[in-house]
Amino acid sequence: MSDEMPQRVVDEKKLRKQSRRDFLLFGAGAFATLAGLWWISPLSSKKRIFGDHATDFLDTAAARFGLTRERSERFQNRALTFDDDVAEALYSPTRSVRTYKPSDVTPLRNNYNGRTPSPDYLDTWTLRITGLAGDTFVILRKADLARFEQHEQVTRLCCVEGWSAIAGWSGIRFSDLLRKYPPADGARWAAIESSVNLDGRGNPDPYYVSIDLPTAHHPQTLLATHLNGHPLGTDHGAPLRLVAPMKLGLKNIKAITKIAYTAEQPRDYWAERGYSKYDGL
Amino acid sequence: MSDVPVVPVAELPGCQVADEKTGAGLPSGQIADAVDEEPVATATEPPSSEIADDAHADPLSGNPATGQPGNPTRERLVIIKHHALVRLSHWLNVPILFALIVSGLSIYWASPVFLHKPDPVTHSRDYLADLGIAIAQHVPGAEVNPSWFYNHFGLGVYNLAGALRWHWLFVYLFLANGIVYLLGLIAGRGYRALLPRRSMIGESLAMVRYYVGVVPMKIARRPWPHPEVTTKYNALQRGAYASMPVAGALALASGWAMHKPVQFWWLERMFGSYDGARIVHFAVMLYFILFLVPHVVLVLVDGWDTMRSMIVGWSARIGGSE
Repeated sequence: MSDEMPQRVVDEKKLRKQSRRDFLLFGAGAFATLAGLWWISPLSSKKRIFGDHATDFLDTAAARFGLTRERSERFQNRALTFDDDVAEALYSPTRSVRTYKPSDVTPLRNNYNGRTPSPDYLDTWTLRITGLAGDTFVILRKADLARFEQHEQVTRLCCVEGWSAIAGWSGIRFSDLLRKYPPADGARWAAIESSVNLDGRGNPDPYYVSIDLPTAHHPQTLLATHLNGHPLGTDHGAPLRLVAPMKLGLKNIKAITKIAYTAEQPRDYWAERGYSKYDGL
Repeated sequence: MSDVPVVPVAELPGCQVADEKTGAGLPSGQIADAVDEEPVATATEPPSSEIADDAHADPLSGNPATGQPGNPTRERLVIIKHHALVRLSHWLNVPILFALIVSGLSIYWASPVFLHKPDPVTHSRDYLADLGIAIAQHVPGAEVNPSWFYNHFGLGVYNLAGALRWHWLFVYLFLANGIVYLLGLIAGRGYRALLPRRSMIGESLAMVRYYVGVVPMKIARRPWPHPEVTTKYNALQRGAYASMPVAGALALASGWAMHKPVQFWWLERMFGSYDGARIVHFAVMLYFILFLVPHVVLVLVDGWDTMRSMIVGWSARIGGSE
């Protein structure tokens, strides 16, 4: 099987020259790789492993060659936006999310990032929608939601943490709301907010997500009022939450109080905390 | 990395037999000879002007060995082992797989799938957390808690966002690097040493028998010859190296199945379910690590020539496998 191991007679001098060059390239590449990995490594991890002093020294040295902490952040965030662009390019408005039988339903955890709000807000709950055509707004109550056509679906909710759950949702289609109260011309985004969200200590910590309008128009994007046949509890976002199964769970905002249609991409709670913005599955 | 051309001599016109050890039985005009201005070829092989210009810059694409190297002080018979693109992708895999594994562990820790009932003492529910607790108990000054393993073998403490960012960055590099590897495998014809062969099973058993006996026989000072290997790799190497691109493809497929389970719904279905893809993805990571341990140990045992050949592409070990 000599064809697997071709032999050649080569010029000794040239062989040495090329080998020397390959070793130099290898060394340079190894050095560049170590420098690059250092540059993009989290500061806390570097400090834990190498200590404050060595970390500051090496970071200062790297910064002299342009490898600053700020540029590292920008570079890595570019990886996030690149992956988001890929996800957006993959999105198809006609592709349906896989649906399951009601018997496939699995337990759904309450993954509120802070404390679960007490049900006091439910009595005075309203949904305020702004950025509508004609520069108007509308305020909806629970009874107003009941007038829309009701839809049911059993879909999987995928969390950025890696867990997922199959749940049966019912409520109204976001697209029906968009048809009834059309956004202003040029609107491309829905800024959805929950003013009742709490942090870990129970202090107000409004939660907000950006949803692109193509996703909002998808027939499987619901504004849900019921989970597995029962009205939503406060743990799952009573009285109205977003169910967009083509997005990560963190976009599926609970206890919605405001929707604003905007032309510019609105802020997003977790994107401001280092996660990606689009989160398309 | 090297100026070994992407198009090897073997693919150039008139070079159909460039990889053959000898040109015996073939018309002399077909014997490739990419000859230099300083001819290294023996007189029986006239230079072919057609290809001389393409290849003269590269000593490794010189004329095929005739088995009769000329002047021993200026010429040398070597084995062409790894294409430049294969070498490049091999070494790029080191930081890429390292980064994917450390960030992957940080991501996994956010929600492990391999769980057991909570341990009454440590409260751990996860097997890797158990491993971490077991290690930490033997590390002086270490705080024994379930996150010890992930804090020390992952990207950082509570750093899911940062770990995801790393994972996406390096997975695109991994994808690109896989393409570089495949191109190198084709360009250098390296795939021929990886294709399965019927004799592999018997040869594998012979290699397993050899590895099982090698240390006891060394202690007993009894001869224990390495099974004869006439190919580039022995059968176990062949299987292990051939499995790497398969494992890489599986890692990518299972990764994308959970990254985009809606748009790539067919990928998710391929792994049964969302969690099925997670389990396969984790198993492939373990496989990469299991591959790495003997891979590094054996290259160190095998010696400098083998290590060097992955940097410079050639080996001086004529007539024998590793």
